[in-house]
Order: sequence, then structure tokens, then C-alpha cells
Amino acid sequence: MANVGSAQTPPLTARSAGLVACVACGRVHHIGTQVCVRCGAALSSRDTTSLQRVWAWMIAGFVAYIPANIYPMLETTQLGKTTSSNLIGGVIELVGYGSYGVAFIVFFASVVIPLGKFGAITYLALQVARPDPTAAHSRHKMYEVVEFIGRWSMIDVFVVALLSSLVQLGSAVSIQPGIAAVSFALSVAFTMVAAMSFDQRLIWDTDKEPTL
Amino acid sequence: MTLPDAPQMQIEPPTRSPWRNLSLVWLVPVLALVVSLGIAWKNFADRGTLITITLPTAAGVTAGETTVRYRDVVVGLVEVVRFAPDLTTVLIDARIDKVVADTIPAEAQFWVVSPQVSANGISGLSTVLSGVYIDSAWVAADGSDVREFTGLASMPMVQPGREGVRVTLRSTDGTSLPAGGPIFFRGVEVGTLDQPRVSSGGDSALIDAFIEAPYDKYVTTATRFWDTSGFSVKLGPSGLDLNVGSLGALLRGGVAFDTTFTGGQATTDATVFNLFLDEASARASIFTQIGDSAVPMAVIFAESVNGLEAGAPVEFKGLRVGQVTSISAFIERTPGGNRTVRLRAALDIDPRALGLEGQTGKPEVLAFLRGAVRNGLRARLSTTSLFSAALKIQLAELPDAPTSDIVADADGIPILPSIQSDLPDFTATAEGVLERINALPIEEVMQQAISLMAAIEAVAASEGTQKAPGALVALLDDARALINQDATQALPGELQQTIAELRKVVTDLQEKGAIDTLVSALANVDKLSADLAVATTQVPALVQDFRDLAAKANALNAEDLINSTTKLLQSADAVIGTDAAKALPASLASALAEVQAALKELRDGGVVTNANAAMASAANAADSVARAADDLPQLTSQLDSLVKSANALVSNYGVRSPFSAETLDLLRQINKAAAAVTQLARTIERNPNSLLIGR
Repeated sequence: MANVGSAQTPPLTARSAGLVACVACGRVHHIGTQVCVRCGAALSSRDTTSLQRVWAWMIAGFVAYIPANIYPMLETTQLGKTTSSNLIGGVIELVGYGSYGVAFIVFFASVVIPLGKFGAITYLALQVARPDPTAAHSRHKMYEVVEFIGRWSMIDVFVVALLSSLVQLGSAVSIQPGIAAVSFALSVAFTMVAAMSFDQRLIWDTDKEPTL
Repeated sequence: MTLPDAPQMQIEPPTRSPWRNLSLVWLVPVLALVVSLGIAWKNFADRGTLITITLPTAAGVTAGETTVRYRDVVVGLVEVVRFAPDLTTVLIDARIDKVVADTIPAEAQFWVVSPQVSANGISGLSTVLSGVYIDSAWVAADGSDVREFTGLASMPMVQPGREGVRVTLRSTDGTSLPAGGPIFFRGVEVGTLDQPRVSSGGDSALIDAFIEAPYDKYVTTATRFWDTSGFSVKLGPSGLDLNVGSLGALLRGGVAFDTTFTGGQATTDATVFNLFLDEASARASIFTQIGDSAVPMAVIFAESVNGLEAGAPVEFKGLRVGQVTSISAFIERTPGGNRTVRLRAALDIDPRALGLEGQTGKPEVLAFLRGAVRNGLRARLSTTSLFSAALKIQLAELPDAPTSDIVADADGIPILPSIQSDLPDFTATAEGVLERINALPIEEVMQQAISLMAAIEAVAASEGTQKAPGALVALLDDARALINQDATQALPGELQQTIAELRKVVTDLQEKGAIDTLVSALANVDKLSADLAVATTQVPALVQDFRDLAAKANALNAEDLINSTTKLLQSADAVIGTDAAKALPASLASALAEVQAALKELRDGGVVTNANAAMASAANAADSVARAADDLPQLTSQLDSLVKSANALVSNYGVRSPFSAETLDLLRQINKAAAAVTQLARTIERNPNSLLIGR
């Protein structure tokens, strides 16, 4: 307890204090306690399988992201004429129509964000095991951003779901979701799970010696 | 109980294999990968077979959008539109469903469906909005590995797999027969016409026609086709004939057929049917087709063939057995050394129409005709109808004709012997009849009869005639006195001779002269009257006149005639009684000679003969009238019905008639509909999304 409040030493962590917190309900136990006495969740000071799960979910997300870009997202049947467009094709089409704003939103939500997530998670997962010049704080921020923004990639899927349920005007116009919509939804879900699987406490462990 | 001081247990971290640390969560990416690869493989494996269709033009085919359909089901998608190396055709690569592609035979047909608006209706309308597509038709053949096909420029009339019969129609004019026009059988649409094309010889238009099953069984070699498009107004012996098909056929054009007699054989692809202009001529013709079993022959005429045309019928006992195919002239050297133009009509004789079997060969037909010619069969020209100047060739049987035979000409064409027709004397045409009726000297005859009657009446009623016997007696007295005179005594011989001659004249008159002739003439007149009465009731006045004449002539007995003669003698008496006569016996003699000559003339021919001749001519006239009158009621009724038909037609076409009003109304509606369609088409053209938003 002598180190408490000292600016020169790293802050006291629960792990160094021999404590472990329940991630589910927040109750603090002594290290060694297997199960949270309050909520029954399994306790562990560090999730040793976290990185494995991150990698697994992220690879799954990436695998799902490939067909999401290849196969058509929407199949628009307009007056008997069926056109199908995939993600990039749809964006190019929107640019062709002059809807730059919409094109940017679609591009941002369905290309930039997922790819950014992949990049960010990969970076975090790779860097978590070793001391990194990047401050733990900024990495933590990055993680927060990734976890927050990840769900917004679903906006594309929501658009498809809305369109295909609303635009069913018989033979005039009808929109059907393509395979890519499912793939994309899966991809987003997988990457979200990957982000959630990441045990952010691992970031702290590399922060024992602050780089001031 | 105390626990033994057990040594501290060595707890070593378990040596865990790296695989034990492997989380189950890795199954997720593996599963995702497997599923993705599976989908990719399936897509690749299900990818259709690439076929290449060669088309003259791409006509709106777009790569990646244009579909290929079979029975209106999408079976493929166009991937690439490219040119053939020489740029003459367009090659379209399309990916066809794998299962379907293996059933496409080499003769499969592909064509681009585009919107079409024609009198047959609107087709391919859906392609206005969705773009064109490639339609196809074939009969599935398992295990086909043909991958290159030649497409058609337009939709084929007959798609493979449709049951039916295909025939070719020959017409002189293809304008009224648009592609896709209907074929009617008893008013039911049973087939379609293809695009007309010009025959290889350039002399006619050929149209392929397809008659669908089950109606194809009604098409045999005995079938006739005729044009139902348009309408015709025909003025003929049966009156005015207005022939209008259905309005649809009027607009679309079309062809109808019927099998007019049994015994036809099944058609082949090479069968060519003549397309007749109307149903009547189709039914009138017994010719089924050209060049099938017809036997070519020829007839040579010395007389004019004006009115004979190619296609004119050849008739045997009133039945059409063939037709004239061509007429030509050639120069023949007569035995006298002169050159003369002869006319040669080439014929086609149909053995079936002669009652011979359809498959009878040419030799058998010739043998049959040769026998017939030996028995007096001759060709001669004849008019086709009362009202027509057109000629036909009649095969007449004239048993008393000089013997002749069929000889082949230089080209081997058998020549049927011909005889001079009775055409120059032929007066049975309407004009001839009317002219003859007009030419009958009825009025002259009546005038002559009236004046004759007046003359006879005048003679009979005249005072002189009444006095004739007395005058004769007086004349005899005077003559006796004259004879008793000295001067007379001086000329006894001459006078005696004169008197003798006078007596002879009287005797002649009494014995054989006028009386019998006149009586027979009167009998003729009576007969003429009777004939006229029988012939027509329209000339009762004439008959009455003749009867009166006959009565009066009968009433006139020989005595009266003698009296009349007496009048002549009286004038002779007057001549004799004059001083000049007395003074100039020579004058008397010459006067007597004149009287004698006059009497002789009277006896020999004069009035009586003339009257006789007139009566005979009247009798002839009556006969002619009688013959003509036989035709008159029919002619009259025909003319009547003709006039009625004409009236009806004219009134139908009157300004305010219902027909005209309906026609106008119909035309207005068609016009309106067309305008509406045009407007719709323009609206869609300008604003395609008006279909969506409803304006």
C-alpha cells in the first residue's frame, strides 16, 4: 500500500493487489476464487484464451467479408429487369447518379469501417503481447472506438432489410437481399464478437513501465 | 487426530499441450471458410455452359442483362456481345443453364424478341420496359454438345416442336399478305403465314404457310387456298356481290382454305398451292396445283382467239378439266405456199378431272384422249358466259367430224385437233339478243300490214269495185257494140286477140293466180298471229291487227277479187271508150299490152308475193321473238335482282345509312385507339417512370 499515490510508480492494479474483479457484476474477489460468489460468473484475472478468440472471430469475419464484397447485395427488379449490384458496384452506381453523400456513407459504413476494424483489431492483438511505443492509453482508446463503431456497420444490413421489406411493389419494383447481405451481416457480427472477446486488461499489462 | 506433517505438495503447473489451449472458437472461422468455399464451389460448379449464338444484328442485346429464355423461362444470360472476325455478324456468348445446355440440338433456333406493333396485335410489349431478350425454341435432345448456334433475324413462324404442316402458297401479289397473317379454316384461325418472298423465277410471290395440328389433316393436295383480305365488289350475272371478310382479316390480311373434294394426297414440303383471289374462284377451280399430274397439251386455232387468256378453263361436257397456260402465235406455211399466222394455246389437262386416277401417267392420259379424238373429240372456242367476251376451250364430241388424231409437235407436245367454232354466228350474247330484238322489223311489218289492209279495204269498199260487175257487163255490151261497129269490124282480129288475152288473164287469175297464194299468205298471217300470241303478250295489238287482217282477208272472197280486177278492166274499158282509143287502135293495143303487163306483174310476184315474203319474215321474227322471249323472264329477273342489289348497296353506302355510320364510327374508334396508343408510347418514351408514379 506504500505505492499508493506515488506518481513515479505504476498505479496499483487489482492483479498486483491480489484481487480479481468479476467482469459480469463487478464484485471483487481474492485471486484464486473460481466463481463469483454473487453472480456465479467464472473469474479470471486475465482471460488467457482472449487472443485466440479474437483471432478466430476476426478471421471468420474476414472470410465472411469476402463474399460480401463479391456477391450482390441487392437484387433490384425494376419492371421485369433485374439488376444486382455488390457493395463497390453499388457505391460506384451511386456516384454515377451524383449522390455523393449517400455514396460516401455507404462506402464508409460498409468498406472503411469493416476494413478499419480488421486493421485495428489485428494491430491490438499483435501489439498486446509486447511493449509498444504506442501508449496503452491510446490503444485503449482505439479499442473503445472499434467496439463502439463496430455496430454501426450493421447500418448497411439494416438498409437492405428495410428496402427489401418495404420496396415490394409487385412487378414494378421489388428488392431482394442477396447473398452478400447475409455475408456482410455475419462479417459484422463476427468482428463485433472479436472486439468483445478482446480482454482489454491485457493492454494494461504492457503498461507497467510507462513511457513518459 | 492430528494431521501428519505432510510435506508440502508439489504443485506443478500442468503441462498443457498447445492443442489443449486451442479454443473451440476456432471452429467458427473454419466453418465460415468452409461455407464460403462451399458456396464458391457451388457457384462455380453450377455455372452455366457458354454457348455462342450468331445473329445478324445485336438489336438491343446487352451483355450481363439480356436473358436467354426457353418457353418463357430464363435459362441463361448474355455474357459477351462481340463481332465475328469479319464484322458481318454479331456473336453473342451466353451462359446457359448446364442441364438445359446439354439438350440444345444444332437446329435450335434463337431470335431476339423486341416489341412489335402490327395488325396482328402487339407482341413483346414486356420488352419495352425490361429490354429485349433472346427467345429460343428447340426439341430437347439429350447429350447434345453443340455450343455454337446461328440465330434468326426475326421470330420464326414455325418453331421447332410445333406439330403441323408447312405448305407454300403461290400468289401474283404478296402485298396483302403480311408475315404472321392468319390462316382460317371455316372461320377458325388455324395457322400463320410467313414473310412473302419472290419466287426464283420472279414471276410470283411465294408465302410459306404453317397449319397447326390438328387442323393439318384437312390440308391435302385437293385443298384450295384463297385470299380473304380486303373486300371485293363484283358485278356479275348473279347481281352485285359484295364480299367482305371479318374486320380482322380486313386489317390483317389472311388466307382461308378448304378441301373441296376428297381424294387428295398428303402434302409434302415441296407442295405449292395456288392462292386464289377469292373463294368463288378457288372453289370453281379443280386444279389443285401446278405441275403435279397435269398433262401439257396444245390446240392450234386458225381463227381469232381474242378473249382467250392464260388461265381460261378447258371444259369437257361442262366440267373443267384443265386450263390454258399460254397463248402464242406462229407462222405456218399452207400447202398453197402462203404463210399464215396460227395461234397456239398451250393447255394443262388434269387427268383426275377427267375421271382418271390421280397417279395416272401421261401415256395413259394420252391414250384416253386419243381414243376420244378418234370418236370425234375436238377443241373449239366458246364463250364463258352470256355477259362475257372471255373465251374458254370446249372439248366437244362431234361424232360426224372428219377423222383426226392427236399428233405431237416438234417439241413433243401433243396437239388436240380443233374445229372452227360457231363463234362468228354466235348471237346468244346479251347484246346479240337485244340487237336482234331491236332489229326485228316489227313496226315495218305492222305498217306494211296496215297499209295492205287499208289498200284491200279501199279496193273492196270503193264504188268502182261495187260497180265492177255492172261495168263489166257494160263493157261487154260496149265491146259488143264496138264489134258491131264498122270500124270495129275493121279491126276484128286485133280486138278478138285482145279479148282472148283478157279472158286468159281472167282465167289465169281465177285458176291459179292470186287466190291460192293469198289464201296461203293469209294462213301464214294467221299462224304468225298465233305465234306472236304465244310468243309474247306484249304485242297484243299486233296480234289483234293480224287477226283483223286475217278476218278481213278471209271475208274477201274471190268474187271481190274479181271485182277488184273488174275495176282494172273498167279502166281498160274507159280507155277503150275514149275517142282516142277508138281513133287509135294502136294506142289501145299498147294500153292493153300495159294492162297485160301489169296483170302479169301482179300475177308473177307483185303484191301478193311481197306480202307473202313479209309474212314469212314476220313469222321468222316471231320465232326469234319467241326464242328471245324464253330468255326474257330470267334475264329480267336477273336484271331486277341486279338493280335491287345495286340499290341496296348504294343505299347502304348512303350518307346516313347505318352501315356507313357504323363504318365511320369504327374508323373513328380505331383512330382514337391508335392515337391513344401513340400518346401512351410517347409518354412512356419521354417519361419511363410514369409507369411507376402513375402519371
